[in-house]
Amino acid sequence: MLRFVAGRLIVVLSVGITLSIVTFFLLNYVIDPAQAIAGEEALFEEIEQIREQYGFDRSITVRYFEWVSGIFKGDLGVSYYWNKPVISLLIDRAPETITLALMSVSVTILIAIPLGILAALNPNSLIDRLALGIAVTAQAVPNFWLGLIMILIFALAIPIFPVSGDKTLFHFVLPSIVLGASSVPAVMRLMRTGLLDVINADFIRTARSSGFYGWRLIFNHALRNALLPVVSVLAVQLGNKFGGSVITESVFAINGLGRLALESILGADIPTVQILVFVFAIIFLFFNLMADILNAYLDPRLRL
Amino acid sequence: MNELLKIDNLNISFQSSGSDLKTLKDFSINLKERESLGIVGESGSGKTLSMLALTRLLPKQARITSGSIIFRNKILNNLLNKNFYKEISGNKISMIFQEPMTALNPVHTIGKQLLDTYLYHNDVSFEKGVLRALEILDAVQLSKNKQRMEQYPHQLSGGQRQRVMIALALINNPDLLIADEPTTALDVTVQKEIIQLISKLRETIGMALIFISHDLGVVSQISDNIIVMKDGEIVEKGSTSKVLNKPEHIYTQKLLNCLHKLENDQKKEKLKNSPIISARDISKVYKLPAKIFKKPEIIHAVKNVSFDVKTGETLAIVGESGSGKSTVAKIINGLIVKDNGEVKIKGQDVEDISLSRRAKLIQPVFQDPYSTLNPIHTIGYIISRPLVINDNLSNHNIKTKVIEILELVGLSEEYYNRFPNQLSGGQRQRVAIARAIILKPQILICDEPTSALDVTIQSQILDLLNDLKQKLKITIILISHDISVVKYFSDRIIVMYNGQIVETGNSEDIINNPKETYTKKLMSSVFSLKQKNQILRDNFT
Repeated sequence: MLRFVAGRLIVVLSVGITLSIVTFFLLNYVIDPAQAIAGEEALFEEIEQIREQYGFDRSITVRYFEWVSGIFKGDLGVSYYWNKPVISLLIDRAPETITLALMSVSVTILIAIPLGILAALNPNSLIDRLALGIAVTAQAVPNFWLGLIMILIFALAIPIFPVSGDKTLFHFVLPSIVLGASSVPAVMRLMRTGLLDVINADFIRTARSSGFYGWRLIFNHALRNALLPVVSVLAVQLGNKFGGSVITESVFAINGLGRLALESILGADIPTVQILVFVFAIIFLFFNLMADILNAYLDPRLRL
Repeated sequence: MNELLKIDNLNISFQSSGSDLKTLKDFSINLKERESLGIVGESGSGKTLSMLALTRLLPKQARITSGSIIFRNKILNNLLNKNFYKEISGNKISMIFQEPMTALNPVHTIGKQLLDTYLYHNDVSFEKGVLRALEILDAVQLSKNKQRMEQYPHQLSGGQRQRVMIALALINNPDLLIADEPTTALDVTVQKEIIQLISKLRETIGMALIFISHDLGVVSQISDNIIVMKDGEIVEKGSTSKVLNKPEHIYTQKLLNCLHKLENDQKKEKLKNSPIISARDISKVYKLPAKIFKKPEIIHAVKNVSFDVKTGETLAIVGESGSGKSTVAKIINGLIVKDNGEVKIKGQDVEDISLSRRAKLIQPVFQDPYSTLNPIHTIGYIISRPLVINDNLSNHNIKTKVIEILELVGLSEEYYNRFPNQLSGGQRQRVAIARAIILKPQILICDEPTSALDVTIQSQILDLLNDLKQKLKITIILISHDISVVKYFSDRIIVMYNGQIVETGNSEDIINNPKETYTKKLMSSVFSLKQKNQILRDNFT
């Protein structure tokens, strides 16, 4: 098991290094950082002065290593746009995004897993068709539209929840449902097919011949096997929630990392954008790593 | 002795798109305590279905339409599911299955699976459960039983897993064990051990046994009484010696004939011809992909193997799975490139022979006729392909030739426009053979040509191959793990183990006087009817 984790860590580390190189070089080649700071109407001399002042005249490789060693020292650079250290921006905005991500994944789990199990236990029944209907609809509906409709119904027509903002946990309910719903189809379908496969497996026949039946059979003998693919997908979805909440955060005016990313991009704020892209990627990697480890814990055949 | 199980006029139907298909007709058996009953039949004969009805494992579409099942004077049909599962299945009646590789849950340890079943049916402490699990693992002769408890199924071999399955079935000391083809998926040497184990445990536990198999030889080893089934009906019923010696039904006689035929040697002429194939020091190594912290694993599939095949002879290569026999066949065929050594066909290196010439020299017949024929093409198209690719013939000539070959392999012209899925397994294998011989090759490599087929079909296919060998003067290389098939029509045998040749010689010598210990083990594991009859006769006198 230790060897397995160590192996995975090495893979994650090399992907992380590759990612940092790609993000940095892409952003610093595509946009001229000096021009970005100086603004659209700046004179040539002004741009050159900024270039010298900020050290953009040095080679890109030197600046990359400076950036990376900064990250290790906890110095993520200073935002030109907000005029603040990037690290304090992150610390300011992260709690909202973390809350939103965790709550929306909980919504996904609460809806998708029971629905998937019910659908698998009654294939082609009314409940299976209904679950399929919900899945297809949820997949087809865009997030921003669902967000607006939810606000219309549950905040304006029937004022149960606040329209927008991020002051209390209560503010997060509607956005979590919106964001969580988008992952329901994938997770539910996977749960259904996974459990259906397992129910027809030989070892379930063995368990039945040993006298197990009903819910006990499902929970003690089938669920763990069926959860294996679901765990991987949930991890990917959780990663998505951190990075992909840009639209939902904007609709509900939540000041999280997604909104920060949007504003920084619009303001051509290279230091913030490159850190955010890198952080989102690292979060994604981290959850995948967790999923791998959890899968290895659940399935001994993977502990190689 | 008291009656344990009585099944009366059991009928089962399959519901398929509105119509009912009767698959088990008036199935009745009586089983006494401690009795062992063998059920023999081909796939689809209803032998498994009858027992699935008893253990409530019938597939969803199947329905019991009439009949009663009485176990220890209790009518099982009317028992509530809740009571049936808690009291009967896994407790009084246990079952083991054919496929040990998939019958255990891969994510739980052996110990947990054993304990689950024991504690579910018995109200005892965890510690007592552990003791019982260790005891039963010991009883199924699984070494290092403490260590086994912590292991997962994938860490065990097929034979070991089947032992765990048996332990799982017997942990509650059942009154009846149902074994559904428990040895079919195992290597021959392991098969014998498992049969002996089940036989011994039956004595010690004092339980009754129902043993289901397609192999009359295996069943006769372990059963007091035998029933023979065909198309959902019992066609013969009686004591083992009566069924073997005085079979009444024509189908039983046919089954026995097939077995006897395999046991009797064909008349074989000694051949002194020149070798058509000579293989010298061939080796093949497979490398498994490297993992982090792990060196790439190297598997020596074939190690320095040398042999000759004489013109017109039938050479059999036998060995267990993983012995390298199929790799050797593929190297000779040019399907795999060897690492070392040389293979010469008629004096020419096999890798220098052009593809179209090689196709006319040497052709393969594979094991699984269900997957070797492309389902989207007609039989005529499949058989004609080698001709179209390699010979420049007119369409009319090709069709005439294909029909000629179809008739030669025992099919008729009407099969020309059919598709593979309209054919049975045996017919498909005939098509595969027809495709292989249409170019009139001099060598045929048959890799387990009959192991996917039912017994009666097996003997038909072997007859066909034998017939073609005489008619077309073909040299045959037969790859098989089944000694009775090999015995039936090979002139010489090569025994392989772990990628090397263990023993080689004339087939009579190898079968009757094996010299190496491995060969002896292999030969002794074959269940022969003759031996069984001998035992029976000894018991009667």
